[in-house]
Amino acid sequence: MRFSTLIFKNILRRKTRSAFTVLGISIGIATIIALGAVMNGMTVSMEGMLKSGKADFSVAQSGISDLSFSRVSENRTNEILELDGVKNTAAALIGFYSVGDNPYVITWGVEKEDFPMLSINIINGSAFSQEHELLIGAVASKEWNKTVGDKLVLKELEFNITGIFESGSIYQDKGVILSLKKLQEIQNQEGYVTIIYVELEEEANIEEVCQRVEEEFPDLVTIKSVAELGKVDKGLELMDAATLAISFLAVIIGGIGVTNTIMMSVYERTREMGVLRAIGWTKKRILIMILGESILLCLFSVLIGSLLGFLGTELLMLQPIIGGLLEPLYTVDTFVRAFVVAFAVGLIGGMYPAYRASKLSPSEALRYE
Amino acid sequence: MNKIISAKNLVKTFEGDRVIALNGVNLEVSEGEFIAIMGPSGCGKSTLLHVLGGLESPTSGEVMVDGVDLCKVKKLDSFRARKIGFIFQLHNLIPVLTAQENVQMPMFELKLSSKERNEKAKKLLRLVGLEDRMDFVPPKLSGGQRQKIAIARALSNDPRILLVDEPTGNLDSASGHEIIQIFERLNKDGRTIVLVTHDKDIAEHASIIYHMKDGQILEK
Repeated sequence: MRFSTLIFKNILRRKTRSAFTVLGISIGIATIIALGAVMNGMTVSMEGMLKSGKADFSVAQSGISDLSFSRVSENRTNEILELDGVKNTAAALIGFYSVGDNPYVITWGVEKEDFPMLSINIINGSAFSQEHELLIGAVASKEWNKTVGDKLVLKELEFNITGIFESGSIYQDKGVILSLKKLQEIQNQEGYVTIIYVELEEEANIEEVCQRVEEEFPDLVTIKSVAELGKVDKGLELMDAATLAISFLAVIIGGIGVTNTIMMSVYERTREMGVLRAIGWTKKRILIMILGESILLCLFSVLIGSLLGFLGTELLMLQPIIGGLLEPLYTVDTFVRAFVVAFAVGLIGGMYPAYRASKLSPSEALRYE
Repeated sequence: MNKIISAKNLVKTFEGDRVIALNGVNLEVSEGEFIAIMGPSGCGKSTLLHVLGGLESPTSGEVMVDGVDLCKVKKLDSFRARKIGFIFQLHNLIPVLTAQENVQMPMFELKLSSKERNEKAKKLLRLVGLEDRMDFVPPKLSGGQRQKIAIARALSNDPRILLVDEPTGNLDSASGHEIIQIFERLNKDGRTIVLVTHDKDIAEHASIIYHMKDGQILEK
């Protein structure tokens, strides 16, 4: 028998108690996995909105808490184009409308001349040429079972689907594109866009150009990478803070649960600890055994919690209101974070009972009733 | 014969000096002897056994075991692992481990491979007549069989001294008889046995019987 086998068998002594402890920690782990996957998905989606095609950076209204609130004068598109180092610009208006069962479909208003810069490739059909025409993304086409020639109702207006596009961003590919003018008209935002994409000359210095844009147009803010998302969207920062807070709570609540479970186990096995010490076990070995039991319980929780987190997120995604807007992304980082949290719970939760067990006087433990 | 255990003026008190468990105990045990210590409950028998086995330090006095002054040993764990085999009335076997796995418990402190531990445990269970119960967990075994596992466990580090505390206290007379026969056999093989009991029939199997009362050894 290996020492690890002993640790494993010890936690099976009180199966129900161990199972409930594992379940408790698993719920914390599942929350971390679910929030992490959703947040990663949101980050990628935002990245898809902010870094489109050949754009080196994007420009939005400064001082906003959500990108969808951004309102930038369309004239800025040409004004930025005139700056040194800027090769090309493209403006986009972004809106969210219901299509069928899906209440939030991202809708892009873009001029078709800007398609090459935004890497929008029409894989079937052709670009829109009239007002009541639009393109749908390849993912949306599959999900809605619609293709070229079909009709699509958007904000009570009927559109003809003239083409299907792919952009490489799942967020865009789940949406629709229509002409900028038409979307401005639908949204009553003539002369305004949500975001301006900027492509630079090869020799241009991105930092200098961004600085110049922000100096020339104080109402605008530049975003070069996902790390700067916070400039235009506080939601992700809030969610990140929430995930951290939940991880912290999971450590505290899980730790108390584990401490309680292991402490009860130590009390029940006090005489046994005395016998183990009598037959030559060192304090260190007792400590390792109890800590091992605590950590193993938490490692089981990682497995079960990860599975619960995954299933829970996928179930949530079945809801059109969420699934249409988000694509959860399960990264190694998320699972590593869950593992670290569980390990910390096991270590911190098991520390006190393990210390108590190792400090038991063998003689007193043998007299314990 | 060599004196393998020697205790001089052993005093052990608890709760300050309010409870005197040992009150000047003197005891010498030669190598290979089988002695029994008898006395009523609370007379200090178990405390004496604990002091002799290094589970408890004496308040005063000297105790030498196999040439080692226990009052000066820093690592009593490793001393117990190498020199002493303890057997208790309540064996406290681990209920989820098989007989064979329970016997291996003390061997974790030795540098043996998993395979060596398995082999040694099998050999010891054969020695106590449990070769057909190796894969049984304690709840599936009788009290006598469990005590035999505890004996095999105590022997797993090849100790020269066995300290035995009321080994038959929870057993019927037939099982108790079997257990005492095992101790006689082990004694014949050269092991020194110090047995604590309040059962006269059991004590009579020892070559020397000591009587204890109020923390003192009264007579031989």
